[in-house]
Amino acid sequence: MSDNKAVTKSTKRNLLSRIVKYRWFYLMFLPVFVFAILFYYAPMLGIRLAFTDFKGVKDPIYVGLANFEKMFKMQGFWDAFFNTLQISGLKLIINTFGAVILSLLLNEVVNLKYKKAAQTIVYLPHFFSWVVAASIFGLILAPSQQGLVNSFLTNIGIIEKGQEIYFLGNNKLWRPVYYVINAWRDTGWGTIIFMATLAGIDTEIYEAASIDGAGRFQKIRFITVPALVNTIATVLVLNLAKIMNLFESVFVFQNDAVIRQSDVLQTYIYRQTFNSGALPNYGYTTAVGLVKSLVGALLVIMCNQISKKLRGRGIV
Amino acid sequence: MKALKTKRYFALLLAIVMVLSVALTGCGGKDDNNKDKGSTDVVGTEDTQKETDKTEDSDKGAEVEKPEKITIMVDGTLVTKDNGRDAFEAEWERLTGIDLEIIQPDHDAYYDVLGQTFASGEWPDVVLLGSTYYAGYAGEGVLWDMTETYENSDLKASGRITKENIVDGLYIDGSLYGIAPASGNGCITYVKKKWLDNVGMEAPTNYEEYIAMLDAFTNGDPDGNGIDGDTYGVSAAGLIGEEAPYMNYLPEFYQDAYPSFYKNEDGVYVDGFTEEAMVGALERLRDAYEKGYIDKESLTNGTSDCRNKFYEDKFGVFTYWAGTWATNLKNNLEANDLDGELIALEPIAEVGAYVERQAPVWAITAKAENPEGIFKYFFETMLDGAEMQRLWTYGVEGTHWSVKAEELLGVTYAEGEFHMLENLEKAGTLYKKNHIDPMLAIAAFTEFEDPGIATIEPEALESQKIFNENSKIAPLLVSTDEMSQYNGDLTTLKKEIVANVVTQGMSIEDEMKRFEEAGGAEWSQLIVDSLNALGN
Repeated sequence: MSDNKAVTKSTKRNLLSRIVKYRWFYLMFLPVFVFAILFYYAPMLGIRLAFTDFKGVKDPIYVGLANFEKMFKMQGFWDAFFNTLQISGLKLIINTFGAVILSLLLNEVVNLKYKKAAQTIVYLPHFFSWVVAASIFGLILAPSQQGLVNSFLTNIGIIEKGQEIYFLGNNKLWRPVYYVINAWRDTGWGTIIFMATLAGIDTEIYEAASIDGAGRFQKIRFITVPALVNTIATVLVLNLAKIMNLFESVFVFQNDAVIRQSDVLQTYIYRQTFNSGALPNYGYTTAVGLVKSLVGALLVIMCNQISKKLRGRGIV
Repeated sequence: MKALKTKRYFALLLAIVMVLSVALTGCGGKDDNNKDKGSTDVVGTEDTQKETDKTEDSDKGAEVEKPEKITIMVDGTLVTKDNGRDAFEAEWERLTGIDLEIIQPDHDAYYDVLGQTFASGEWPDVVLLGSTYYAGYAGEGVLWDMTETYENSDLKASGRITKENIVDGLYIDGSLYGIAPASGNGCITYVKKKWLDNVGMEAPTNYEEYIAMLDAFTNGDPDGNGIDGDTYGVSAAGLIGEEAPYMNYLPEFYQDAYPSFYKNEDGVYVDGFTEEAMVGALERLRDAYEKGYIDKESLTNGTSDCRNKFYEDKFGVFTYWAGTWATNLKNNLEANDLDGELIALEPIAEVGAYVERQAPVWAITAKAENPEGIFKYFFETMLDGAEMQRLWTYGVEGTHWSVKAEELLGVTYAEGEFHMLENLEKAGTLYKKNHIDPMLAIAAFTEFEDPGIATIEPEALESQKIFNENSKIAPLLVSTDEMSQYNGDLTTLKKEIVANVVTQGMSIEDEMKRFEEAGGAEWSQLIVDSLNALGN
């Protein structure tokens, strides 16, 4: 017993002496710590609203789990929930593997100037805001002869004039179009991490492969792709934790005809708050937000476990 | 041992979080209080002015105490700081002898800031509210009931109010919580005169003629470019609106259908979406969309998209705001070297009347210390038919308007001729109004003639006159618990059904069946019952 106490005292002393020793590092860390407490943890107290009826004026009325009961009964919530997983998940896969393919292509470019120019061009769309992207694609996909795509389809005889396709207003085409636009905007940016990995591959391996008679495709298949696998897994795992966070890219392309195909949890919360035609019940929208966060947290834990297995270390 | 220590650290961390958040919340509150107190101290009324006030008070009735200070919260419909708000404030204070504090958040963030302000408990004395918020906050007990004060007011007795129906429309459950100094305005249908001439038609007076006109505009050559079928009839920003009156961009198709809650002739609340008239509206919209009369992009159009297409001569019929917008549309067409003459249509026979949106309302908050005084010195003066009304309508002389002889933006004004001055924010344009639109004001000038009415373009006056004579006000709905709970999902479902029927080729029967299956009918009934239970 007394041994234990002695150990505890000594540990405390060690901790204190470490803090004193590294006091300047602790001081430097202090603003970050305070910032995190103020802006990440303190707002979490708002979670209690999920258990209340609150319209923003009178004191919240405790309603227990009523908001959650209502939420789980609402088809709109479930549509938004599964849409979030589907849209975000598929978007992640398309963007990641699109970035891998693009990286492999860029890696094969020999002319350095051309390679740099191509890289710059594919990075650029990432810097367009979603609002600008929506305007651009609204024009490109317009269901008239002024729309670039419809005009092209008419000219090559796939559709007739007057039968233009309303890409953004058609509930069957909306998702494919959405994935294409996302790929356009984010695939290039996603290549950065893969290009960095490719740059780290020892050139001697390629030379040895060439001596052994390997062709270009064989080198890609047996050297480049295996070298990328770990990075691909890391990127997928890191991004999987964020798939519940989906708003702007969907919101700017949403319209009444595609709401069931496009509604995700964050747009659902937005509409419940601002388009209800009445004072919103912040209790309900907080409850939806809480469920979203809990699912997100579960995904983070899951990804952490996967990461530990794949990389030998976690992401948190 | 290690686990125990971890738990301790975790508990300590949680305790710090709790303490910090509570302490910070407290700090915020204190700061706000201090700020308010500070601002009260900074601006004080002159002693001489106080003496004058006392005399005025005794003349006008000693029972209403004159407030020393009034704090108001308003959106960007009042002149902004960069547009001479300080001059407005100084002039208002000169006319009343009361200190005025104006809180004016960014226009787009107004209701966010207002909600946060109410949640903080630091309420301004007076707020400007859109209809949804007016009804909602009234229901929450945030607004002061001014029924008796208004009924016994000099304003009501003066006879200056020319549009009493606007005030009457603001009563909720027999009580009045706010005054709208102007009507809400609404959309009227404009038709390009040149297009009508080119297809040899007259302005339509009924739906048959309206559809015939759309057909000619879609399949003929109304723009006279020698190509048939490269134009279309009408465009809109959405097939159904985001807020009441919902159908104001396509009234000829909706006709007697109203896709939301209203009180019917029997005095009972119903959901118009579930009525037979809505089926007729959906059929008309679907048919017109299929035939290409309605812009294919109406689902994704914003209002600016529609305006631009109108200016580019892509379509010929545009239902848009009455009044000043008639001039804007004309000027923009002419700027594109097109004929700017527009015919503002009287509502076709089947429509009967255009729907006017509920006007933004000034209301006194329940925490205001001297609501009677605020009513007398803020509300009544706003519509005094004299200098103060001119201030709210046109702004400040020398900042927003002038009667001096001068040349401004290429126009020469004679001495004594009323004219608006150049916009401080947008060089090269003139001010049009301050907070109250002169064409929409609910009270007339009585001390002198409306100084600015002559500056309004004839087409704006004409369209506003037709609208005012042929419109009814959109129903004002109280925000019930059921509405807060279900109306978000219900509105989404309704909009989806309209879009599916009109643009996706779904049958009306199937979609109405889905309305029931998805819970729409049940939510609708719950809301209807809650409205009727209020006993309005």
